[in-house]
Amino acid sequence: MTATETTTLAARLVTRPRRPTSARRVRARRALVGYAFIAPAVVLFLVLGLYTIAYSFGLSFAKWNGFSPTWEWVGLDNYRDILFADPRLAPEMRNAAVNTGIAMVAVSCGTVLIALPLASLLNGITRLRGTLRSIFFLPYVTAGVAVYYAWRYVLEPDGAVNLALRALGLGSLARPQGFLADPATALPTLIVIMIWGSVPVAMLLYLAGLQAIDPAVLEAAALDGAGSVRRLRHITWPLLVPITVAVVLLGLRDTMQGFQIFLIMTNGGPAGHTDVLGLKAYQQAFFQSLSPTLGVASALGWLIFVAALLLAVVNARLLRGQR
Amino acid sequence: MIGNRRILAAVAAAALALTATACGDDDGGAEAGGALTMWTFKRTHVDALQQAAAAFKAKTGIDVRIEAFTPDDVFTAKIQSAAQTKDLPDVLELHSGGEDMRVGGGGLLTDLKGDFDGKLDRFLPSTRESGRVTQQRKDSIEELSSATVGSLYSVPFTAGTFGIVYANKQKLEAAGLDPAKPPATWEEFLTYLKATTTADKTAGGLSLGLKVTQTGFNWIYEQLAFAYLGQQKFEALFGKGTTAGFGSPDGLRTLDLYAQLKPYWMPGASALGIDEADIAFAQGKSAFNVGGTFTLAFLAQNGMKPENVLTFPIPPATGGAVSDLRLAPLALTGLSVTSTTTNKDAATQWVDFLTSAEGAGIFAKASLDLPATDLGTQAETLIGTDLAALQQFFTGPAENTYDAANRGFRPPDYDEVEMGNPLLKLAPLGEADAAATGKTLDTVIKAMWDAK
Repeated sequence: MTATETTTLAARLVTRPRRPTSARRVRARRALVGYAFIAPAVVLFLVLGLYTIAYSFGLSFAKWNGFSPTWEWVGLDNYRDILFADPRLAPEMRNAAVNTGIAMVAVSCGTVLIALPLASLLNGITRLRGTLRSIFFLPYVTAGVAVYYAWRYVLEPDGAVNLALRALGLGSLARPQGFLADPATALPTLIVIMIWGSVPVAMLLYLAGLQAIDPAVLEAAALDGAGSVRRLRHITWPLLVPITVAVVLLGLRDTMQGFQIFLIMTNGGPAGHTDVLGLKAYQQAFFQSLSPTLGVASALGWLIFVAALLLAVVNARLLRGQR
Repeated sequence: MIGNRRILAAVAAAALALTATACGDDDGGAEAGGALTMWTFKRTHVDALQQAAAAFKAKTGIDVRIEAFTPDDVFTAKIQSAAQTKDLPDVLELHSGGEDMRVGGGGLLTDLKGDFDGKLDRFLPSTRESGRVTQQRKDSIEELSSATVGSLYSVPFTAGTFGIVYANKQKLEAAGLDPAKPPATWEEFLTYLKATTTADKTAGGLSLGLKVTQTGFNWIYEQLAFAYLGQQKFEALFGKGTTAGFGSPDGLRTLDLYAQLKPYWMPGASALGIDEADIAFAQGKSAFNVGGTFTLAFLAQNGMKPENVLTFPIPPATGGAVSDLRLAPLALTGLSVTSTTTNKDAATQWVDFLTSAEGAGIFAKASLDLPATDLGTQAETLIGTDLAALQQFFTGPAENTYDAANRGFRPPDYDEVEMGNPLLKLAPLGEADAAATGKTLDTVIKAMWDAK
């Protein structure tokens, strides 16, 4: 650039400065474009997120059947009825809460007890590890409505499980009424199926955790004379505790909020032996012959949410304690 | 660059707008003068309704589109969401005497009083008022609080009753029983069951969809108890502050009678839904099946020939008040016209046609479901011998007739589901005896009377 050109440019800048209004306009345009991009996501969140949350919270203080023009406000009655006030509803909810609690603990513990040894075994082999990992992951890929129906056929009185038990000379373990119609086996059977569905992810998490452990640490311990049990107890297990906490809490949360398996396989039966809170909420909403029970369903949903929130707090504290 | 971003942003915003507008009317009611839409919750009714619709079109030129939404929770959710989006069809088939009242009370149904009050004599007498808002209903159904007594929210469409036993004639024969002779008493019924389960241990029992727990109470126990106790004592079981409830000596006797079924239930009955139990019977997995008049249609659809089935009402126990039990037909479903229809005249015409002798005949013959329309002497011609044969259980003296539609003696907040679980624990689960069951049922009834 020559001196003349520089002078001319400088003179132009001095004589024709960019007007601040024009700069603002450009910035506003750019902002507008940005807002237009995020608008769909924001609107979707407002409609599907905040709106439904606020709607559901309001509904939990009302009686409504889903189509009447007005809600009848009942204050805290829905919460009170669920917890203690309604002599018909409250005992059912308590029964469902107990079943939910049993399932939450059993599924979480069972998942850890199966997934950890499975991951350890997979970590200890090199041949066929990928193939076996895929096989063990299959239940997670296939779990769903169709698989639950398949399980029902397998568990019927003349289903594959009873046939196999009888063929193996274990007829005393067979259930003549089938595993889902027998009050003694219905809930345990559903728990086993839920564990079957949750082991794959837990196993993968454990496998990732095991592969992250520095082999030199284990080697040093072995050189110091630590056997496999001591190595597992004093080195591997402490390093896997954060993963275990995550697996347990995921199991607790999924079991507390999920109810598809209970709806499809037993619908809470026989005689309420597999009723859980999520299922009760669904039944209150959609199986009451259009009675105004959506408020009760919503209140129950919020009580489950509070329980889930408490779990999340416990989760955060446990994970913080591990750091 | 900025220009491209603007175009992209505009496209995104347009997509959002289109998505929002796409949620609008797609399957709702008719445009004025256009095709009608009708929703039903019964898949088994679709073909028959379509046949009737074809006949209706030939007569009037009006198209009717039939859509089924099953199971019940899906139908419920569909109505709830359609009510919110003002996207209801023109005509609905609803459960009579409850669902229609709630939907009507919610302002979604047209009052058909003016159109059908003069035509109600075409229906079976016990079904005529099934869609009417009465003072008793207004007092017990919250949604009717602002409804006008006398309004007609539905007209009866299908009728029938529960407590019909279906027996597989081949299995009766294989057990050495006469396949043409139904058991006359409860005790004889038990001997039949014993014979069939002895002949075939795994597939000779009784099936019923006990996963829907109230079926045991509604479809067997009530008829059995009514026949044993007679109408007055039966009604006293449900009384307010009664001393003659389920835990009374009379109540316990009826529970003991019911518990006698325990050895004869089909394996796994308590995990079967209603349709699954019917299918199990149709597939030969049980010798007896309990259902309603509507069950015949479903059995036929699943391959069971009606001529291979012996039907009879729940047999009365020896020594009881009623020795020849009859079952009054009640309206099971009704037809309603929605308040949002833009073509009320055509919708009313369609309902009128479906409940006429001609329309009801076409529907009944194709669906094997009994119409609420009284077909009189034409019944056998219009609906066939198998279906007409079921109607023989409807007629008899009033004192011998169990009427499931008679709800006046029950608590206003009566919920049959809550009666089912205690009975299921009595039989087939065997977790409670008659005394414990009677006590639980009395507690449940008291709680219903005490409900707000």
